[in-house]
Amino acid sequence: MRIEVLFPEICNLYGELANVRYLRESLPDAEFVETPFTGQPVFLTEDVDLVYMGTMTEQAQVLISEKLMPYRDVIRNRIDDGMNFLITGNALEVFGKRILEDGKHICDGLGIFDFESRRDKRKRYNCIYVGEFDSGEGIMKVVGYKSLFGFAYGNAFKEHAFLNTTLGYGINKEISEEGIYVNNFIATYITGPLLVLNPPLLEWIMREKLGVEGRKPAFYDDAMKAYEYRVEEYTRPGKGWEY
Amino acid sequence: MIRFYIALWASKLSVIALKLTGHNATDFPGTVALKLCPNFLKYVSKPSRIIGITGTNGKTTVTNMITDALAATDLKVLSNKEGSNIKTGIATIFMKGVNVFNRSTYDLAVLEIDERSAPVLFPYFKPEILVINNLTRDSTMRNAHPEFIAGILTEELPKTTKLVINGDDLIACSVAPENERVYFGIDSLDTDTDKCINLINDMRVCPKCHSKLEFDKVRYHHIGKVHCPSCGFKSPECKYSGSNADFDRMMIDITENGKTYSVKLINDSVFNIYNSVCTTALLREMGYSAEDVVEMMSVLSIVKSRLDEKKAGSYTLIRQLAKDKNALATSRVLDYISSRPGRKEIIMMMNCLHDTVQWSENTCWLYDCDFEFLKNEDFVRIIVTGERCLDYVLRLRFAGVDMSRIKAVFNYDDIAGALKLEEGTDVYLLNGTDSIKAADKVEAEILERMRKKSEGGME
Repeated sequence: MRIEVLFPEICNLYGELANVRYLRESLPDAEFVETPFTGQPVFLTEDVDLVYMGTMTEQAQVLISEKLMPYRDVIRNRIDDGMNFLITGNALEVFGKRILEDGKHICDGLGIFDFESRRDKRKRYNCIYVGEFDSGEGIMKVVGYKSLFGFAYGNAFKEHAFLNTTLGYGINKEISEEGIYVNNFIATYITGPLLVLNPPLLEWIMREKLGVEGRKPAFYDDAMKAYEYRVEEYTRPGKGWEY
Repeated sequence: MIRFYIALWASKLSVIALKLTGHNATDFPGTVALKLCPNFLKYVSKPSRIIGITGTNGKTTVTNMITDALAATDLKVLSNKEGSNIKTGIATIFMKGVNVFNRSTYDLAVLEIDERSAPVLFPYFKPEILVINNLTRDSTMRNAHPEFIAGILTEELPKTTKLVINGDDLIACSVAPENERVYFGIDSLDTDTDKCINLINDMRVCPKCHSKLEFDKVRYHHIGKVHCPSCGFKSPECKYSGSNADFDRMMIDITENGKTYSVKLINDSVFNIYNSVCTTALLREMGYSAEDVVEMMSVLSIVKSRLDEKKAGSYTLIRQLAKDKNALATSRVLDYISSRPGRKEIIMMMNCLHDTVQWSENTCWLYDCDFEFLKNEDFVRIIVTGERCLDYVLRLRFAGVDMSRIKAVFNYDDIAGALKLEEGTDVYLLNGTDSIKAADKVEAEILERMRKKSEGGME
């Protein structure tokens, strides 16, 4: 099994490399390819089992959008062909049509999905988060955090939402839909160690997306205790969620 | 202006009221002033010279050092060294610096300035010199990432402000490239390595060509000397460069334009060595001669340890602040403690209690923080506490800490009883800024248990 981590030297904010660390701990036999910004992504030309990219600075968003732009048709084909992607935090914005700041165009996204991102760096939107994921086997609660300068707007989220928000911001303030789930492409605005906070989600990815049978994520009992406590805590009546 | 004078007088009255009721008057008077006159900072008179100190870590220390060093001069110095560094705190200190007729009574202001507050401060005053000690990750929610903070400073800084920047911090160096600047740094330390072992390293990529940077010397995280093997970009030459740190004499050599002089260190931690070099550079840029600076630095008191030690019977309890949500600052604390000799029990109370009341702590920072330092088997027990203790347990498992050494305690009342208290083992109590009072109570309970155990009595 081969897992490609895109640009970890710059896509590493908010503890998100813990997602990769958790994959490593849970899949000790997997090969991890860390592609630097100056390198050529492996998934463009070879089969990989999962591509991961996490939160980056706003300047890095521009650089990465420009870097991947020549390959957008290849990337679209990879998604259409069912390659597994996990995209967290503002890395999601790279896959939209464009990124705006204070109404001004900052850069084009890859345009693979029908949405645009609008930010205002004078504002910071922070929340704790609970969303419901319909895995096909039942509803799974996904918990986490968001720390963002803005939101995303477009049809992609109505058509292909990953989660239905029950606490916190959706993909924007107006809708409860959150993230994108198309074929095997999963993207979410949730920031931080998403997989660490959600061992059931990792277990599902391992089983359903990576074909790993009979193996639990690492530190499963301790991870589940923390997850179950957080789910109970966040769903207490009257729990504040916006910081 | 009537509105301003009402705000000024009300603010001054609030200081008297706060003092009579035994409260600190560092923030509230400014809040009153700004409430009554939102443009208070525009109208309040200021000293003719303003020096600012900003950055993520070390602002308070440098502000204290500069203020103490200037005490021996005949300058009348206004400083917020004991106060708040955000807009309300700055309004408070400027209010204190004028009489009831709004006439400034000080020659110079030395201001610790919150790096995030630049947009609401710099429209109202222009520092002659601004020190940027470092820019590193801090609260995810408030500060996002250091590049964002560097961007804020670049946008908001007056063009006339001269910068005194830590040249060993390339993120700080990126601020306001058009402003006049000098760099300070440390040439070498015995503890230098060429590989960053920390989880946070926000300067891995060349800012010019985006190739991987190579570190020649690493102090901690991204602080050190680097070069780009692809395009030749490298750390800037420092006008003020520290070397030959001597911890027996507590002195460090400063080389400036080929001449070397020695100044006093206040502490042997890398953080504080930088603070001493920074203070030296600032005093020199303020116009004091090297001889004067050596003399001014000599009055600064040495803090032998950053740790607050208390003895109880045969036991030692060591208290340390580890900033909530600040992965880098907490990493520095864990690194420092792990480097100390002897067996240890450590209690972690860096719980964001204020967040817990309103919503819940954002724990992303746990995975940026180097809890790996606790793998050291000198830590015989690690007690994680409060509502996030299960998250800490999981984080320590990631760090490779054996479960038998971890104890999760939800209730603070149970912390003292969870200690092993073995002979020859020191106890470290880490608290965040939110949990100071709670840690005071836990500290008292631990000391009581230590005393009883030393006396051989019933616990």
